[in-house]
Amino acid sequence: MIDILTVGLVSLGLFSFFSTTVGLLRLPDFYCRMHAAGKGDVFSSVCMLLGFAVYLLHHPTLEMVLTSLKILAISVFIFLASPTATHAIVDAGHASGVMPWLKEKKEEEAP
Amino acid sequence: MIWQLDLLILTLVVLCAVATVSVKDLLSSAIIFGTYSFLMCLLWTEMAAVDVAFTEAAVGAGVSTVLFFAAVFRTTRLLKFRPAGRRLAKVLGLAAALGLGGMLFVAEGDFPAWSDPNSPASTHLSPYYLTQTLHDTAVPNVVTSVLADYRGFDTMFETAVIFVAGLAVVALLRRREETGPPELYQVGAGYEDTIIRFIARKMAPFMQLFALYVVAHGHHSPGGGFQGGVILGASFILLAIAFDFRFVFSKMGERANILFGNLGVLIYAGIGFLCLLLGANFLDYSILEKILPATDAVMARSHAMLGVEIGVAIAVMAICISIYLHLASHGRMDKGL
Repeated sequence: MIDILTVGLVSLGLFSFFSTTVGLLRLPDFYCRMHAAGKGDVFSSVCMLLGFAVYLLHHPTLEMVLTSLKILAISVFIFLASPTATHAIVDAGHASGVMPWLKEKKEEEAP
Repeated sequence: MIWQLDLLILTLVVLCAVATVSVKDLLSSAIIFGTYSFLMCLLWTEMAAVDVAFTEAAVGAGVSTVLFFAAVFRTTRLLKFRPAGRRLAKVLGLAAALGLGGMLFVAEGDFPAWSDPNSPASTHLSPYYLTQTLHDTAVPNVVTSVLADYRGFDTMFETAVIFVAGLAVVALLRRREETGPPELYQVGAGYEDTIIRFIARKMAPFMQLFALYVVAHGHHSPGGGFQGGVILGASFILLAIAFDFRFVFSKMGERANILFGNLGVLIYAGIGFLCLLLGANFLDYSILEKILPATDAVMARSHAMLGVEIGVAIAVMAICISIYLHLASHGRMDKGL
């Protein structure tokens, strides 16, 4: 049961890391790329960390449970810090005038 | 050691090193250098040197990248192209680098293999530390006991070197008058953001709590004064970035900060002199059992190590904050980046 949960969570995390990388490389502009990086990074990191935390419960001694709790604390930290950093980067890009990508190209748009 | 992982990390390290010096944008160069530090941290973790990896992650990838950013924003971002006629200097530099690198490669063959149990380093001194530390000092983490007890003299002057570096930055950059060189970059002038400020304000106490844990738990796990001090300093740097300098100074004044730097080094040296006063050698902690209640000579060494680590943490924290504030404000201490 624990094994299945661990493998499932870590594979989900790895898959979403892969899609994050693809999105970061292939999406058309700055904002879409930050969308991929921000969401995908947080989701995959938290998934993988949860997987590791569950894996440690194989031997539910006190130390293992404590280590598991520490991993959970790390994932809470990532859950707070990473979206804030993404928000700061996107805001800085918006403030310095990065134009979003539009489907219909307009004349005044910078290449 | 998994050699495939090592090979991958080392390849990326070399790529990052080449990219750091070849990129013309100094800000990108600082970011790539942070990546380089993080890869070195992975490499050390993989070599089971967890304390070194922790320090590298906190100092190299964390705070020094921020310090580079502050310096780049206050000086110049683009590397100027050198005028022509420097060809001879470039050729000479390349020859020197290649010659030195070649000599290192030749000498590398004489080194013992990694973690060779028969090498001189692992036959004379290391076995003593590995077997006797717990008996001598009751500290399970050998790195901490070597750093703060067996080689405490060395670490005391490392702390002093960091303190002197901070003093040098203050002496070079601090200025009182209002007129100075014009602001080159007005990044974030008057910039306020509720989300960033809220998260930074809620996160800083937990960072400081974690830093205290790292300092106090360095006896049993990776960590200690240097790492904890850098994390403490980083929490203030986070506040200085998210808010402004006035907010940081309302928590920790400039004068108090410098005094904390002094205090840290004084705590370390003071513990050493206390041992001297009680009639033992400098930094020979076991004599402290005379004044510490309910300890024997072994536990006195353990407690004194904690005191020394606290001194290191205070000094490193103060110097980190001081260097960042001076670099980011061009020494005028008025506003941040």
